[in-house]
Amino acid sequence: MADAVIVFDKVHKSYRDVKAVDGISFDVAPSTCFGLLGRNGAGKSTIMQLIYRKAERDPTPPGTISVFGFDPERDELEIKCRSGVVPQDDNLDEELNVSQNLRIFARLYGIPAKRAESRIAELLEFMELREKANASIRELSGGMKRRLVIVRALLNQPRLLILDEPTTGLDPQVRHTIWDKLRQLKRGGLTIMLTTHYMEEAFQLCDDVLIIENGRAVVRGNPKLLLGSHIEPYVLELTDVKLAPQVLARLPAGTARVEPSDESVRVYATDYAVLKAVADELPPGDHHLRPSTLEDVFLKATGRRLDARQ
Amino acid sequence: MPASDIRPPRLAARLYSVWFRHMRVYTRNLFSNGLPPFLEPVIFLVGIGLGLGRYIATMDSIPYLVFLATALPVTSAMFTASYECTFGTFVRLDFQKAYDGMIAAPVTVNDLFVGEILWAGSKGLFFSACVVLVISLFGAMPMPMGLLAVPIGFLTGAMFGALALVVASFVRNINHFNFYFTGFLSPMFFFSGTVFPIDSLPRALRPCAEILPLTHAIRLARSLAIARFSPVLLADLAFLAVVTLVAGYYAIHRLRRRIVM
Repeated sequence: MADAVIVFDKVHKSYRDVKAVDGISFDVAPSTCFGLLGRNGAGKSTIMQLIYRKAERDPTPPGTISVFGFDPERDELEIKCRSGVVPQDDNLDEELNVSQNLRIFARLYGIPAKRAESRIAELLEFMELREKANASIRELSGGMKRRLVIVRALLNQPRLLILDEPTTGLDPQVRHTIWDKLRQLKRGGLTIMLTTHYMEEAFQLCDDVLIIENGRAVVRGNPKLLLGSHIEPYVLELTDVKLAPQVLARLPAGTARVEPSDESVRVYATDYAVLKAVADELPPGDHHLRPSTLEDVFLKATGRRLDARQ
Repeated sequence: MPASDIRPPRLAARLYSVWFRHMRVYTRNLFSNGLPPFLEPVIFLVGIGLGLGRYIATMDSIPYLVFLATALPVTSAMFTASYECTFGTFVRLDFQKAYDGMIAAPVTVNDLFVGEILWAGSKGLFFSACVVLVISLFGAMPMPMGLLAVPIGFLTGAMFGALALVVASFVRNINHFNFYFTGFLSPMFFFSGTVFPIDSLPRALRPCAEILPLTHAIRLARSLAIARFSPVLLADLAFLAVVTLVAGYYAIHRLRRRIVM
């Protein structure tokens, strides 16, 4: 893909003996939202950091990274001046107020002071933080801090926005606001790359998701299309495991796939009627019949059990 | 598709923006940050100079008060730069994660720490200037030659900033900086010619005093202030420059691994 904004080709990254990224290849098309999904320690943040040389890939085996046509290890500045980064930690300067924080970054981006002022005002307005322009960082709620970091990342009018878990720990109102802003930015031509643990977030925002496990790509595709190709469309959830034998006995052979965990059982099937027939005979309250979601795709692809890195 | 319409800032602009960040954070609390450089030399001159000075008329053939006064601009530059690039750097590195944020903007790790060493030098300059000003009010600083101690304050600040960054690159627990201050800086304060000339050290210890970076900074500041020029001063200047460059290079090499994974 010649005009892709980001291209990873067989990239490896190790920390001492831990392989964080194990031969990953993918590309991100312009003006799309690309989501990296994976459990903690799967390698998501490392991949984000490789883009702007917060991390450096292994020299061997050789892999290549191209961002706007630049290699981060040769032209990090060219990449950084075209990108905005929202790191996992807010890392705002608590000694400075909102506007001062932004002015420092405007200067780091080389934006002339006058243009910086109008850009700051415009972005604070956009992120609904206008009244907080002179507030100290300590006064801000978690959601305001997150929005402020997004403002900071947009100061240089980037063409690529990198967000590492943009809405982790935020309430639903703030999360939906941020989603709307990101959609608006994408419509304006911005390319967005994000990591998230919220499958709903990936489903809402991403045109393309890559599920990674132990540093390797396991599933890639449009989240809506993945529901059709990587998972049975319906699931019956039993939150009382004692119901399971009764349910399983009633299911015709070969019509369903069962995923047990310690305190619940999920029965996946292609045929809604099959699950509905069984569900109707169960006492209400301890079961739920629903369409499958991206979370089901994710858990199927990466397994339900915790691994050592979590 | 490398686009040509966007250009990253030039080196000077990048260094200035890092320097500017530190300056803004520092001047946020200008009163509490700016008072010590005015008060400390007064305390020292009153406590040591006026007390001890009554018993010691001259030291190294200059009035004792002048002997002390011409060292204080650089010792205060040393301490302020050392605090800035030990505790200050560690807080930015580990607690605030300030560098992690800054490095996402178009600056490199080199820019971050060269900018920081320049900032340490600037603080050294500011502190020396304050000390020279205060001491000249006491009449203990030869003027206008004493003003030459101010640029030496910059060089001293930059050198001790670079040395402190080396220490910061090794330290994993912020309390360990205390070893550097009590184990290295405080003894150096006494054995580098601040309160007595190093010529009065035992012959065997004199070469040791010449290894201490502060010795060269003090000799420069004092000699310039009392207009006692000699070729040795060029060697002192070279010593400061070499230590700054070597320590700075080594510190950046090590700190890069704390920031770039």
